[in-house]
Amino acid sequence: MAGIAPILAALARVIWRDLRTFSTLTGNNFFLVVAFIMIQQVQSGLFFIALLGILLLVPLAGDPMRKIPPDRLTLWPLTRSQRIALRLSSPALTPLVWLAIPFLFRAARIPVALAMIAAALLIQVLLAAWRHIMARRPPLNPFRAIPKPPGKLGRLMQKDGRQFLTVLDPYVALLLCLACIIYRLTARILDPEAGVILSLLVALALSTQAQSLFGLDLPWGMLRYRLLPLQGREILLAKDAAFLAILLILVLPLAPLPGLAAGLVALGIGHHDSVLRPMPQHRWRFIGGAIFPTGFFQVILMMATGVAVARQSLWYFAGATAFYLASLWYYGRRWDAG
Amino acid sequence: MISSRNLSRRFGEFTAVDNVSFEVPSGGICALLGPNGAGKSTLMKMLTGLLAPTSGEAFVAGYDVRKEPLAVKHAAGILPESLGLFDALTIDEHLLLSGPIYGLTHAETRRRAAQLLHALSLEEGRDTFLNQCSQGMRKKTALALALLHNPRVLFLDEPFEGVDPVTADTIRNLLAAIAGRGVTIFLTSHILSIVNRLADQILVIRGGRVVWQSAASDLPQSLEEVYFGLVEASTVDDLPWLGSPQS
Repeated sequence: MAGIAPILAALARVIWRDLRTFSTLTGNNFFLVVAFIMIQQVQSGLFFIALLGILLLVPLAGDPMRKIPPDRLTLWPLTRSQRIALRLSSPALTPLVWLAIPFLFRAARIPVALAMIAAALLIQVLLAAWRHIMARRPPLNPFRAIPKPPGKLGRLMQKDGRQFLTVLDPYVALLLCLACIIYRLTARILDPEAGVILSLLVALALSTQAQSLFGLDLPWGMLRYRLLPLQGREILLAKDAAFLAILLILVLPLAPLPGLAAGLVALGIGHHDSVLRPMPQHRWRFIGGAIFPTGFFQVILMMATGVAVARQSLWYFAGATAFYLASLWYYGRRWDAG
Repeated sequence: MISSRNLSRRFGEFTAVDNVSFEVPSGGICALLGPNGAGKSTLMKMLTGLLAPTSGEAFVAGYDVRKEPLAVKHAAGILPESLGLFDALTIDEHLLLSGPIYGLTHAETRRRAAQLLHALSLEEGRDTFLNQCSQGMRKKTALALALLHNPRVLFLDEPFEGVDPVTADTIRNLLAAIAGRGVTIFLTSHILSIVNRLADQILVIRGGRVVWQSAASDLPQSLEEVYFGLVEASTVDDLPWLGSPQS
């Protein structure tokens, strides 16, 4: 044990640091909305908390040993018994197991704690089996399936679409959309008002991405953008088109126009932080942005515009488009100014 | 083709590049040498429009880097120190992304991409995502991106580092050939043996100041001797535990 103790200590430190990347959730617009709903009525927010929990399950239950570079692990002069001890003790460092500990200390919650630990181990076994199967096959990358739109910005849009799908935000939106589709397939009629609200929730789930359009490009991809002979508005347009394409697909079965209007407003406001205060983001985490003022204004104006488009007039959609285009023009110039 | 006049860059109190002036004619290969932290990358960034100078001016292919940055980007091929690649794209997709942005047709982009991938031995890995590539493959991809649009000027930051000797030789021959066709090349490198065989103009920078500037043919001694004469010789601290019986 003495030989592997420093490795386990280092692993614990790495995982603790990695856990901080989950804190981006507190800067996410969807989290803001859920918190607001729960202040009003706790029960209403539980569904959304469950959605967030489902999406965080896999990253929180990941195998801690994957944090050690394989070459480094091979190079360490460990005996066979030390390697076995390391393998057997590493699941204790799984973040989901850590989260189960508070439940263990409350007798009434022991089944919950055991379920969390079992889930963590099951996910690790399944992921290991998946990696074992895939190791013998050509690399599979589902993001290759994302089509390239035509035009000189097409490849950039394809790249942006891939990037947007490597964070958890669109999957919350997808789960919301799927819940609605399943509800409709069970032959129940969806209240048109519910369709609008769900469409706006889908747009809200994606909206933090609109204030961190370059978060996954930092730092080297950002440099490539600076090297390309493109104007700022073209670079932003490629990002926005990828964002709107994902949003359109998700709101199509719900209420497309209010959802798209909300998306245009989210982008129009989000350009400010995207261009002037880009924040680095992590793959397979929720996007973290600025709750105030950007997130707060995004949420308020998105809801107001979406509801106005649904209940009042399509002129509000035209207004959202005009606002977006003005923002694209202005922040494109700000990008060009460096 | 490249002209720098009293170019300076300060970061607060620190002067990274101090009053640097030089000219590189069309078809010339200028090597910028200097120790780590001498200001080479800062100078390169200013010449390529990535960093605004504090004072002075620079022209690339006749365009003012400060006033006409888009024209400079069209005229120049740039290999930055950090390569600037997207993890979410494959090697092939990087080239297919870049061509149309520089105004190449899809067919022409594909034709040139295939030739560059072949020349740089990247054909086998062309469908590999950049986050799964070796450092050498990443370097070669960034170099292919710099060459794809047939630039009139090339800025290459450490083009030979991290690539195998055969590829380094291929790159050297390629650069010599395109310089012969009138392309101007400005490069930084720590591999003096390659620089010695390639460059026709030498610029040594230290502490942000140019300490040597001449044609390669005018060097009074070998490049290595000149370089070590200009840059402080390294001192090796005694580490007595190295080589002693293992504890």
